[in-house]
Amino acid sequence: MSIDTRTTQRHHRSAPAPLVRPDYRQRMRLADTLQVLCIVSVALVVALFLDDGGAARFATPADALTSIGVLAGLVGTDLLLIMMLLAARLPAIDRAFGHDSAMALHQSLGKPALYLILAHAVLLIVGYSLAGRVSVFAEVWRMLTVLPDMVLAFVGLGLLVLVVVSSIVIVRHRLPYEVWHIVHLLSYVAVLASLPHQLTVGALLAAGSPQWFYWLALYVGVAGSILVFRFIVPVVRSLRARLRVEGVDRVADGVVSIRLSGHNLRRLQAHSGQFFIWRFWTPGLWWQAHPFSLSAAPTGTSLRITVRSLGDASAALGGLRRGTRVSVEGPYGLFTDRARTSPRLVLVAAGIGVAPIRSLLETATFLPGQATVILRSHTVGDSYLADELAELCRARGAEFRIIAGKRPPGVNSWLPAEALAARVSLKTLVPHLRDADVYVCGPRRWTDEVVRDARAAGLPTRQIHCERFDW
Amino acid sequence: MRHSSSVVSGVCAGHPAITVESMGTVISIRIGAAAGNAGSPHDEAPRAAARQAVADVFRGWNDRFSLYREGSELSRVNRGELRLTQAGSELRDCYALALAWRDRTDGVFTPHRADGAIDLSGIVKSLAIAHAGEALHGLGLRDWSLNAGGDILVAGDQTPGLDWAAAIVDPLDRSARLASVPLRAPLRAVATSGSAERGEHIWTTVDGALSPFRQVTVFGRDIVTADVLATAIIAGGRPALHRSTETFPIEVLAVLRDGSLLATPGLRADSA
Amino acid sequence: MRIRAAAAAALASASVLSVGWLVGVPAVESLRSTLTTTLSSSASAEATTTTASGPGTSSAATTTPETTAPAAEAPAATEVTGTFDGSAVQTRFGPMQVSVTIDNGTITEVTPLQLTNDDQKSVMISNRAAPILRDEVLSAQSASVANVSGATYTTQGYLQSLQAALDAAQF
Repeated sequence: MSIDTRTTQRHHRSAPAPLVRPDYRQRMRLADTLQVLCIVSVALVVALFLDDGGAARFATPADALTSIGVLAGLVGTDLLLIMMLLAARLPAIDRAFGHDSAMALHQSLGKPALYLILAHAVLLIVGYSLAGRVSVFAEVWRMLTVLPDMVLAFVGLGLLVLVVVSSIVIVRHRLPYEVWHIVHLLSYVAVLASLPHQLTVGALLAAGSPQWFYWLALYVGVAGSILVFRFIVPVVRSLRARLRVEGVDRVADGVVSIRLSGHNLRRLQAHSGQFFIWRFWTPGLWWQAHPFSLSAAPTGTSLRITVRSLGDASAALGGLRRGTRVSVEGPYGLFTDRARTSPRLVLVAAGIGVAPIRSLLETATFLPGQATVILRSHTVGDSYLADELAELCRARGAEFRIIAGKRPPGVNSWLPAEALAARVSLKTLVPHLRDADVYVCGPRRWTDEVVRDARAAGLPTRQIHCERFDW
Repeated sequence: MRHSSSVVSGVCAGHPAITVESMGTVISIRIGAAAGNAGSPHDEAPRAAARQAVADVFRGWNDRFSLYREGSELSRVNRGELRLTQAGSELRDCYALALAWRDRTDGVFTPHRADGAIDLSGIVKSLAIAHAGEALHGLGLRDWSLNAGGDILVAGDQTPGLDWAAAIVDPLDRSARLASVPLRAPLRAVATSGSAERGEHIWTTVDGALSPFRQVTVFGRDIVTADVLATAIIAGGRPALHRSTETFPIEVLAVLRDGSLLATPGLRADSA
Repeated sequence: MRIRAAAAAALASASVLSVGWLVGVPAVESLRSTLTTTLSSSASAEATTTTASGPGTSSAATTTPETTAPAAEAPAATEVTGTFDGSAVQTRFGPMQVSVTIDNGTITEVTPLQLTNDDQKSVMISNRAAPILRDEVLSAQSASVANVSGATYTTQGYLQSLQAALDAAQF
């Protein structure tokens, strides 16, 4: 229960000031463009509706209901397509936002998209039954039997409901990840099943019209992107890299480092701090895919990850044999030196989050004396890779602190009780915090607390980077 | 037709209709007195010319398409003596038109007989009427009516009081009339199909059952449409009736087996 | 989102929406404009006017595709009188087409020719055949009837038919 505040920095002779990568502006421009495109795409589908004279179709209640229903369908489908693009592992999206932020947005769009599509179905059924003066059931029956492609549309809606329900937190945690993933892939089927009725029912997307072309171009673009970046590129990359397990080293109880070897890995263009999604081809593990960060800087022939081998899923990782084939998807992640905006550096890690921090430390740009590494653990001895971190800090002239101690009960803080009582914070630990980029990796709640602390110290968000693994 | 008052006043002496026998029925021609008709309708010469023109037209069609004449082109095609591709363009055009109408009526109207022969009689009579109308037009007549065995085509500049009007026979009492309808443009053609009739050109019946209609009268913009649809509605029953009224600009009066009537809104007495 | 990006997105969306709105508003108006252009272009070619023999009542001339009436001197567009078919206009359900009766330049009646309902089928508005009593059926002045339509009569049957009686009458 002590706060270890030993400093281990050494002073080296001054080296020329390293150039902090100036592509921040470029990245933000890309991010801005992508965000604008997203919003304009929604405006465009509403404009499709208006362009067809939709604004005039609110005269009677039945008309108003059907018009709102059509709008809901248009916007909901656009959101679904955006969601699919977010999950398609587009390099541009990863470069601008990082894969984890993209997936966070993907998750948050799920329920609104479903509500809009449900509203679309309900409002149109009610609106048509009002207009045709029939009961709702008669109208549904008519839709299924008379209108083209409606059976498929209802099937698509059902699948969509299934996918979203299975992704609600409560349900998702009960399902094994792989089962949940397969159900989730049904969303592709749902979207495809609903495409025919969008083109054939009603004249908004009449065949041959500009709207029809735009709509089809959207679908083709999304499908093409998914096919290329989600499926083809990872497969090709893996085949070329020919990764094999080189060895497994025990780091601590239940934690191992896996070393991998491959060919011409520079082609992967991986950077320290990034992660891959790994698939190990053994009978017990081939059907699982895990996201793990690199725990050492990637070289042309080797990669290393450090993982917890607890629980049925990961237990087998500890027993991987040398020569096992490995395939990867990636590299993904914005948790890299390329996201730097400031000369100083603060790396904060806890638990297995130390892995990307360790690789970052190896190649991050900073002058001696301008970096601090903070390791949070329960006891001084139970942090992983601490010796490697210490060694690297010694070699590179970075300050190394281990903050050990139990979480204060009932209070949200990333620091242990004594530190909290002593009014320790990021600001007190790192005097020149305002000039630093802060990289945080660890359990989710804890990471949020570190970020909160950094924000409270006045750091703008562009200087705070964190990696989330809970998608 | 003029008001009865002008007949009573005897200002112009009237004339009976011109009649021509052809295609197994009688064709009645009347020439109206509206301005625009070349000459007066009461001159003998234009009447004779009109009669001759209509007779020639009908004879021509009959020669080519009648299945009752062994030497007609259609009979020869049906016997296999003449290939359809070698037949005259008129026959092929006629066949194509019949096929087009088969598509439009979802197969209820069809030129194909059960034994595989091509029977164009359903369309030939109306084409002949239309052709005869053009012939009358070519003679400079602008106001006339043609009635070929119950299928009526009129032409005339519409002026109040000078409409040609057609009455519809009550199939349950052939001396009574169900309706008298002024043939206001653009509805200038009337055709009636009856299930108790010859029926040679109604080959398909829905479900093989008897038609629910005893008689169907269709008012249309041209005689071919009216005739084909009258046939199709008789053969196709209620579904065909509703499809036809929804798709084509027609008025229909249908008499059901029990004598009750179905009519489109334009045939109601309170419609304008 | 950064302020810059939010502003750009708002601006772009607003312009996209207003373009859509502007294009869409005339869609309902286009029917009238297509009719007007149809009128002025076809008026000189097809319209004929006839004068009634009665006292100065204006008459509606009819253009029917079948009659090739010789064109009288083309009336000016504002004095057009006649019944014209408009061109088909795309609606949310499909093509819509109406026939318009013009009397001296004013539209007096609009008759739907085809309207696609949400079944994607062309529908004649309210043209369904409905049950009707015999005394509700249209009966014009029977004295003016010159032709009778019933099931086809043969030459033999003609002699006993109503038509024969009418044909013999002197009109």
